[in-house]
Amino acid sequence: MKRPYKFLLAAAVLVAIIGIIAALYMYNLTDRDLQKVKPDFVITAGALLKAFSDDEAAASSKYINKIIEVTGTIESVKAGEENSLNVILGTGDPLSTIICTFQSGNDPAGFPVGEEITVRGECAGFLMDVLLNNCSVI
Amino acid sequence: MLVKMKKIITLLVAIVTLTGTYAQKYVTKNGYIGFYSHTPVEDIKADNNQVAGVLDISTGDLVFQVLIKSFKFEKALMEEHFNENYLESDKFPRSTFTGKITNIASVDFSKPGSYDANVEGDLTIHGVTKKITAKGTLEVTSGSINANSKFTIAPEDYNIKIPNVVRNNIAKTLEVTVNMKYPLAEGK
Repeated sequence: MKRPYKFLLAAAVLVAIIGIIAALYMYNLTDRDLQKVKPDFVITAGALLKAFSDDEAAASSKYINKIIEVTGTIESVKAGEENSLNVILGTGDPLSTIICTFQSGNDPAGFPVGEEITVRGECAGFLMDVLLNNCSVI
Repeated sequence: MLVKMKKIITLLVAIVTLTGTYAQKYVTKNGYIGFYSHTPVEDIKADNNQVAGVLDISTGDLVFQVLIKSFKFEKALMEEHFNENYLESDKFPRSTFTGKITNIASVDFSKPGSYDANVEGDLTIHGVTKKITAKGTLEVTSGSINANSKFTIAPEDYNIKIPNVVRNNIAKTLEVTVNMKYPLAEGK
């Protein structure tokens, strides 16, 4: 084999290997650790709920899929399936809250009711409450 | 006259108490719905711990609502495909179930225990509504009513198109698990 062909072959193999590694990497990506990600918005629990109750469409396009750092008072804590934990932040509204889901491995004892807390999470939108996922305490 | 008044009042009190007892709605916003797909190629699982649900134990009326974006997958890429390509969650952000426990009369809510429940109703996913039936259990405890069910659905029925490339990775029917815990005391 002549030298230029050898070089081309080596280059092709290298590109293929890089491609496979990149594809495997992308395929195996898990959710980001939000403690290390800069928030898109920093807001209080009350203001976040108000944005959705005033104009859900506008708030949806502004906040959904964005990283939101929200500060509020812990109203209750519920253990969920698959080792998850829902920490509910009061908003001043008797019916609607901010539900922050910690996907795994969090101890309810770390979330005393009545305490103020800052949580970073990914906004899924509004159902009866504003829903945040992949939450981390900041 | 006085006796008559007394009778009427007793009757009124009885009506108010009875309707009060019987129109009992229980609400949770922290319910769970998950689904599971098994193929020889891979197993896929998604969990949603932000399910809102109302159960009326007098009529058996049952309502669930979820945001599609609240389903969490093990792999970020799966979640992205699920939202953007298959469920189109920007266009159809919610999924709902509105139905009934048809044998609610056979459940004694004053007695702790596990009761079989037959459920039927309309399930809306991806903008498509289908009638479904499912079997489940109602577990009555001193602090809560737990409603659990497992049933299968076919993505095809809901006009969810799965491209050929991943056809073998996603099962034709998915197993759906519903676990709702309705607290008996007032709470959110």
